[in-house]
Amino acid sequence: MARLIRTEKEVEGRFEEVWIVVEEDPLEQWPEGPLTVVGRPAPRKDAGERVRGEARYTADLRLPGMLQAAVLRSPHAHARVRRIDLAPALALPGVRAAIGPGEAHGLVDEAGFAGAPVAAVAADTFRQALVAVEAIDVEWEELEVVLDPDAAVERGLVTDEARRYERGDVEKALAGADVVVEATYRTQTVLHNSMETHQAICEWQGDTLHVFISTQYIWGIRQAVAETLDMPEDKVRVVCEFMGGGFGSKNSPDEYTFVAAELAKRTGRPVRCALTRREENTSAGNRNATIQRLRAGARRDGTIVALDGEFTNSVGWSGWNASTEGPMRMLYDCENVRTVTHGAKLNTPPMKAFRAPGFVEGTFGLECLLDELAARLDVDPLELRRRNYAGSNDGTPFSSKNLEECYRRAEPHWERRHEVHARSDATWKRGVGMASQIWYGGGGPPSYAWLRLGSDGRATVVTAMQDIGTGTRTAMAQIGAEELGLPLEHVEVVLGDSARGPYAAISAGSSTTPSMGPAVRAAAADAKRQVIEIAAQRYHLEERVLDVREGKVVSADGNLSEPVQDVVGLLEEAQILGKGARGPNPTGMSVLTFGVHVVEVAVDVETGEVRVERVAAIHDVGRIINPLGASSQVEGGVIQGIGHTLSEERLLDPETGRILTTSLDAYRMPTIADVPPEIICEFVDRPDEHLTNLGSKGLGEPPIVPVAAAIANAIRDATGADVHELPISREEMLRALREAEERAREKEKRGAPAAV
Amino acid sequence: MELLRPSSVEDLDGGVLLHGGTEVVPLLRDGLLDAERLVDVRGLVPRGVHDGVIGAGTTLAELEVEPAIPDALREACRLAASPQLRNMGSLAGNLLQATRCWYWRLDYPCRLHGGDRCQARDGEHREHAIFANDFCASAHPSDVAAALVALGARLRTNRRELAIEELYRLPDEGDRSTTTLEDGELLLGVEVPQVESSTYLKAMDRKLWSFPQVGVAAARVGGETRLALAGVAPIPWRIGGVEELDRATPLPRTEWKVPLAQALVRRALAALA
Repeated sequence: MARLIRTEKEVEGRFEEVWIVVEEDPLEQWPEGPLTVVGRPAPRKDAGERVRGEARYTADLRLPGMLQAAVLRSPHAHARVRRIDLAPALALPGVRAAIGPGEAHGLVDEAGFAGAPVAAVAADTFRQALVAVEAIDVEWEELEVVLDPDAAVERGLVTDEARRYERGDVEKALAGADVVVEATYRTQTVLHNSMETHQAICEWQGDTLHVFISTQYIWGIRQAVAETLDMPEDKVRVVCEFMGGGFGSKNSPDEYTFVAAELAKRTGRPVRCALTRREENTSAGNRNATIQRLRAGARRDGTIVALDGEFTNSVGWSGWNASTEGPMRMLYDCENVRTVTHGAKLNTPPMKAFRAPGFVEGTFGLECLLDELAARLDVDPLELRRRNYAGSNDGTPFSSKNLEECYRRAEPHWERRHEVHARSDATWKRGVGMASQIWYGGGGPPSYAWLRLGSDGRATVVTAMQDIGTGTRTAMAQIGAEELGLPLEHVEVVLGDSARGPYAAISAGSSTTPSMGPAVRAAAADAKRQVIEIAAQRYHLEERVLDVREGKVVSADGNLSEPVQDVVGLLEEAQILGKGARGPNPTGMSVLTFGVHVVEVAVDVETGEVRVERVAAIHDVGRIINPLGASSQVEGGVIQGIGHTLSEERLLDPETGRILTTSLDAYRMPTIADVPPEIICEFVDRPDEHLTNLGSKGLGEPPIVPVAAAIANAIRDATGADVHELPISREEMLRALREAEERAREKEKRGAPAAV
Repeated sequence: MELLRPSSVEDLDGGVLLHGGTEVVPLLRDGLLDAERLVDVRGLVPRGVHDGVIGAGTTLAELEVEPAIPDALREACRLAASPQLRNMGSLAGNLLQATRCWYWRLDYPCRLHGGDRCQARDGEHREHAIFANDFCASAHPSDVAAALVALGARLRTNRRELAIEELYRLPDEGDRSTTTLEDGELLLGVEVPQVESSTYLKAMDRKLWSFPQVGVAAARVGGETRLALAGVAPIPWRIGGVEELDRATPLPRTEWKVPLAQALVRRALAALA
């Protein structure tokens, strides 16, 4: 029976109360451990298409008669359009239409950051559109530019009210602590820089708008476009077959979609609006910079008695105030915790979700502070974490938590530090660091899948979800194949089109597998039930003695073993249709993911070069569907985390607020040569018994969460230097080394016996 | 825009010279070079190493595996850019590339663009110069140029022969260019003297495809030790010894380059011994 419930929904660490209808989810979870298909490594089903260049990304599409759009963006970090004249653009060759502020959602007359979209042109070629955009005559009124986050907060220039949290009495606990450590950590602005830039093609067919878009949320685009353009949702079709990266930055339609829709309407032609790489670096969202002023108090025995944090997120002109304080609130068992989180509204490009927004930054601060505390207490960092293990989330039980098991599996990697230290020499110092991971990743309803089983015994999962590059097609096919008892190669997945499948959840917040997987399994179970019912009638057997295994309908006594296609084949062209829905999340429980990374680094103490030599990543995300895909996710997260930690930084001109790093040679992402020689991925792989018919959580975000802190802690272990800023460039590394040297010299001076 | 492919050096008549295109094409695209006429000189510039002279059209990819050139030059080529860029980029193009200063690349009205201030000095300059940075704080990006300066290479153009150091000049109020090449002058060859030993060391912010944060070339030539640095001044910068780095004039956010350069110079000198 469909059940109407009011529930808390979480995406990317943000919660809202929503009404949802959930279907009962009567399926028992599968037993723990690898099954026939699920839990076995499977190469991506679409790997061939992708490497042969056959996979059609939005960037590959060229519709007949399609025009190209270009966008005029503000050169000023804060300015108002006093006057704008589109006529010079319209007069140029190839130009078909031009629109200004207010004529498409997202085109503004007050630009709050350099790169804000103001006007747009559609032309026969992109080059013509670019030339036309430059011809637009704008008179700007320049306004005050605010770039300093602390100053902004002081002046009340904030995105929302400061978020305050307190349990216990922090001041009292700090006053009574044996040891108090205090430090300020800063993290930089980093960019998603997806391979496929943000883009959409819009085409009107009658009163239906077709939107081909690189997106993480087909249904969110459909809803937002329909609402903004005041259309029925059914008149908006959204398609995203293959996608070249999003990392949180492609959850919404944004100006390029509305520009394409409006220009398509005006010209009667399909219009493509694709950001250039430069625009991707200025206007497509970012992981915002943070300042974290932290304190921790502990007793001699290592019990943490107080955690105190003031966090300032440099949110930018828009975006949201992510939970940078989340790890401090949730990771450790501590009675007295106080956090305040400010969101500074600045004349900088908008923040957008970026792979575990807030928690990546907050984990860097908290887990570095914990190691500074361990050093002060002279306690082993791993031991310190165990002593302060959280048994509940501030009183709310965890649906499952196997962080202790992660720590246990980390031991052999952690033990290597003695041998690693021994490999240091005069210039290259080696060390080992660790950091824990906490994040969401439970997914939730609603989400639906259909499954059709043909008379050839092959099944197709149909759902209008998107595969954002994480291997979703493969994982969903595995779940369908496992439940149906079919070989993996007999199950296909059709996705990526709102007109060709039921509603599916957003692919963000590590939710695709935990949201969609249970719906796919339910659909497969529904189809399998029908196969067994048919077989029971055909062979005059009881349903309860029948099962489908390895593509055959079999009876418990072994007398019946008929290929599925022979059973279903009775129906000729007819099909068996299964339908499935995602059931509810457990009530009164915190659904979270956990993990730990142990990282080995080498630091050249003369030149400040840092090399990450080995990463052991151990994660607890419930049942693993595809160990091969899961390892790829972890490797990708680690590599992206290394870029965040060591080399990436978006830079602004401090005077004008314009972005200086607008290309991939100025904005430095890691290359294949920067990937550590060894990345070891381990999974606890224990189903969460309270979570859905699968017991699976998401893994998209967890692997990037602890990377920066683990590297910084390894650097401290290697050199004694405390790094407090990301990225750990040579400048920051050399500064920290010099500071450590001075500290050591000071200590020596103080400790030296007085002259007699 | 027209593209010319002249058949002899004598036919050269203005225009923007194009070889591998790894520098010129992005500059054209970004509007930093205005070219009514592009002149493809690949047919005019010698390629390959003959009798100790390196054709200016030889690619970096060819030089990084060339046994007949000194180690410093081979290493500088190997550590430059990415394999794709080295396959296209020529030796001459590398020597003549413009600074990576973001203000210059984004067409700020900076001194190199003829303006009246250096935005980097007051602004974001963490990758900039520690020497000769008064007028313009840009850092010269060529690994290869530093190597050739240390090696004491001589250049041949269609008009003259000159020491590589004479190719470069510091920009000043009257003349904002960083090279002495004249209009229509074409680099044809590079002559590298025999050296006893040489090396090139480079600090990058990732393992490859990075311009030098600091590059140090060192060569022992006829008993004399010569040092030249990349990434520390608006042009390749010669120093007499490590102590000269004490006289660097770093900006607040380029101070870190001084100890880095010191460490690399010491290592380079040790490697020569």
